[in-house]
Amino acid sequence: MSRFTLKAVGWRPRLEPVKAETATPAQLAALDACPPAQRRSAYFLTLAHDPGSLGERGALFNIVMYAEGGLPRADRELATAVVSMVNGCVFCTSVHAKRFVELTGDEPAMQRILDEGWAEEPDPRRQAVAAFTEALTRTPGAVTAEDIAKLRAAGLDELEILDLVHAVAMFANANRLMLTLGDPLLPKQM
Amino acid sequence: MADLIDSLLGIAPDSPLGALRRRRPEALRHAEGAFRELLLPEDPGGLSRAERAALALRVALKEGDAALAARFRALLVAAGGAGMAAEVEAPGAPQGEGRLAALLRYADKVALAPEGTTRADLDALAAMGLTSRDIVAATQLIAFVPYQVRAIAGLRAMLQEMPR
Repeated sequence: MSRFTLKAVGWRPRLEPVKAETATPAQLAALDACPPAQRRSAYFLTLAHDPGSLGERGALFNIVMYAEGGLPRADRELATAVVSMVNGCVFCTSVHAKRFVELTGDEPAMQRILDEGWAEEPDPRRQAVAAFTEALTRTPGAVTAEDIAKLRAAGLDELEILDLVHAVAMFANANRLMLTLGDPLLPKQM
Repeated sequence: MADLIDSLLGIAPDSPLGALRRRRPEALRHAEGAFRELLLPEDPGGLSRAERAALALRVALKEGDAALAARFRALLVAAGGAGMAAEVEAPGAPQGEGRLAALLRYADKVALAPEGTTRADLDALAAMGLTSRDIVAATQLIAFVPYQVRAIAGLRAMLQEMPR
């Protein structure tokens, strides 16, 4: 069985997070640039130690994941779940796999990806998105126009492809922060 | 205005790919903002601008992006860190007990094998005198370069099938 799960996974920081009640104005302003639902999470309060980078990086994350138009949000969540599996981030995988299920209602499809990967993914668009995502994550220098052509063949237009590139790149970043600054708390440990 | 990625890819802002990138103006603006806050902060705290450039150079080299690495090498020199370049660019695991070697070892772990990091890696940085802010800044910086590398790689592939 795969270690990746749709169940809620927790996250425990390895540094003492900033406390919201004693945060500086700069730290509070940076937290306000982050997704509303997560502003007071242990993760963002840990990143708030360096408010300059949190503010800009939080705003970048927001636009990459939630910008209107372009790549449907379900595809962004699929891509970020796949990046997180490749990088071994059980926490990020659980979060984004769950969002994919919320957006598509297709839990069996995501459960199959979590258990077996995407090599046999039957949906051609999802298969193309996942294969490109894995290639750009593992071997960015080897990605070529041929890989882009496969996305176009699966129906993605150029703005969708740009959004996919941004989402994959964002999780090269997000997974490294999560894996380094804290530990996942698996369901049986919670 | 051309940004770092335009200039690395040799594209004009009004070229087809440049114009496509500008359909996500906030992504450009905040990627530039993150670069500025991480590499050229007004108050660098306990992690100097030269050390920041050194970490970014190390990750760009390990990720195999020579053009991006050249930018960070220039930043390193501009920040007065030319003397660090040889140690940063040495192949293999960083040797020695010095502060720079410890920072580079941390960069290698976070960039190449983040799943293998432990609390002890952060404790080692704290034991060298880095504050929580310095540790978060170093980690954000080391994790930001892989973002840039993949954004650039994806755009470079898109450029191959688009006119400049």
